[in-house]
Amino acid sequence: MFSGCEDPSRLDGGAWLLCYLTTPTHQSFYLAFGTVLLLLAITAPLSLLFGFGGALASRSVIAPLRWLGRGYIAMVRGVPEIVFFMFGPIALDQAFEYLRHRVMCPDWSEPVRRGNDFVVCTAAKLPLNADPQWMHEIYGFALAILSFAIVYGAFCGNTIRGAFDAVPQAQIETARAYGMNRRQLFWRILLPQMWIFALPGLSNIWMILTKATPLLFLLGVEDIVYWARELGSAKTRAYSFPHPNWQLWYFLALLVFYLGLTRVSEIVLARLNRRLNHGQATLAGSGRMAAGR
Amino acid sequence: MVLVVMLWLSVPDFEHSVTTTDKCEMSSSAASSPVIALHGIRKSYDRLEVLKGVDLTACEGDVVSLIGSSGSGKSTLLRCINMLEISQSGEIEFCGDVVRWTGEGADRLPADRQQVIDMRTQLSMVFQQFNLWTHMTVLKNVIEAPVTVLGQPRDEAVADALAILKKVGIADKAESYPAQLSGGQQQRAAIARALAMKPRALLFDEPTSALDPELEQEVIRVIRELAAEGRTMVLVTHDMNLARDVSTHVMFLNEGVVEEEGSPEDVFGKPKSDRLRQFLHATSQTPH
Ligand SMILES: Nc1ncnc2c1ncn2[C@@H]1O[C@H](COP(=O)(O)OP(=O)(O)OP(=O)(O)O)[C@@H](O)[C@H]1O
Ligand SMILES: [Mg+2]
Repeated sequence: MFSGCEDPSRLDGGAWLLCYLTTPTHQSFYLAFGTVLLLLAITAPLSLLFGFGGALASRSVIAPLRWLGRGYIAMVRGVPEIVFFMFGPIALDQAFEYLRHRVMCPDWSEPVRRGNDFVVCTAAKLPLNADPQWMHEIYGFALAILSFAIVYGAFCGNTIRGAFDAVPQAQIETARAYGMNRRQLFWRILLPQMWIFALPGLSNIWMILTKATPLLFLLGVEDIVYWARELGSAKTRAYSFPHPNWQLWYFLALLVFYLGLTRVSEIVLARLNRRLNHGQATLAGSGRMAAGR
Repeated sequence: MVLVVMLWLSVPDFEHSVTTTDKCEMSSSAASSPVIALHGIRKSYDRLEVLKGVDLTACEGDVVSLIGSSGSGKSTLLRCINMLEISQSGEIEFCGDVVRWTGEGADRLPADRQQVIDMRTQLSMVFQQFNLWTHMTVLKNVIEAPVTVLGQPRDEAVADALAILKKVGIADKAESYPAQLSGGQQQRAAIARALAMKPRALLFDEPTSALDPELEQEVIRVIRELAAEGRTMVLVTHDMNLARDVSTHVMFLNEGVVEEEGSPEDVFGKPKSDRLRQFLHATSQTPH
């Protein structure tokens, strides 16, 4: 990074540390924090969307749609996350490749499943063998995001469904008495009131989601936990920056990062909660919650 | 599908057979159709028969009061008018327009959703528990239906709303949320919301029953004003003084039938049935 870092064995103290902390591998480590934040930034709205879809489907008047919504929520909620994270990306990958295979190679006669192997024609592979490395990484990351969104979407779905059911019947009935049709009733009354009931549950899911990001490691994405372990382990003289086992310090940095993330989340969620409850006949709305009166 | 079309086709003759039954006297001695007319309304919840064939007519400017003991079916009747409850038989006529149905008995439903919506926009309801939308300020509550349902321009609706809020005496509460108001203020806001629709008729379901005696008076004052303006209203109430003062017609409901009805002077002055005499006697013992 800096000139003068070429031969670290001749450096000492602050200069050594500065050079050490700016090696290319450390830059990957820092980038991995960005990956975590990016995952959260994409997964959270996507989960909300999945949850919303699931909740609406599970309350639908159309029976097959209702079964689909309920099935999704029940199944994903019932399976341990970790199993789903191992299974999800593989299943999604094979599903996508199989669909492409059917479209792109209709003449292919051999079976796709051969014993334990899953073989599709070369043109259907995702990403293509010829694609550069970063395409492979993006694809892996996208599968990870999708798996996260499916799992946390099911939790959001259950919370949102409950929140819809918690809206008082009298509020809905009044809207009908004033001539609102189903669409107006949904957007103007049901949805805005639902958020007040959904927010506590959704904040919990967000907190769980932020702490679940180390699972990225399981999905083959090189995340901060992976790098902390790699970089922190003892380095022999064969490396340019030899040092004893510093994993404790690296994990301490992760600790600080996650605590910071939690603190920021809490502040934002508390503000959101205050806004939603403003003027409502709830404990939070009356501003008496802290006093416990 | 075919059935629906057939029913729809069969409606016109049917409509004629009903509209001829009652007419309202106009000042010019010409007759016009009543604002609200119910014919033989029956309603059951499972096996419990709550309304056993009720007729009601409210002409332009009428204030029809429904009185009767708890559980006699007053609220149910009111809610059958704007179809928050679906009656199992009987006809509902609104401004000469007869509600069209599909299905029979327990499966009866309005055939035309738009007809129901059009009717509801001209028939505002005021509830016992106010039912203001909790996530909106008073002003937003008042302009909500005019803007969303009637498509009134927003600034026009706001100007109207402020005038109505002033009339009911809570102009200073326009930006408050319902939970920040007293019961009497909430009910006046709910009345403002009802008036903002510029309805042909108002339905009141015990508008003062959830209020303390002092707060009751501020709502009663508004209702008296509306009656004096000649608004068409159907009013369910436990307040016999109010019913006596504002009504043009009083109906005593007992176990799902109209036991006795007439002018307030007759109903309160010379009750004919024992049930009504008992009822009036019992209510006169209460503090109000
Ligand atoms: N949704 C419902 N399901 C079942 N029964 C009901 C329902 N609503 C009302 N009832 C019954 O119908 C009867 C009439 O109820 P309604 O609310 O019309 O009485 P009311 O005359 O308005 O009484 P109150 O003066 O106490 O308001 C009661 O016996 C009640 O138990
Ligand atoms: Mg009632």
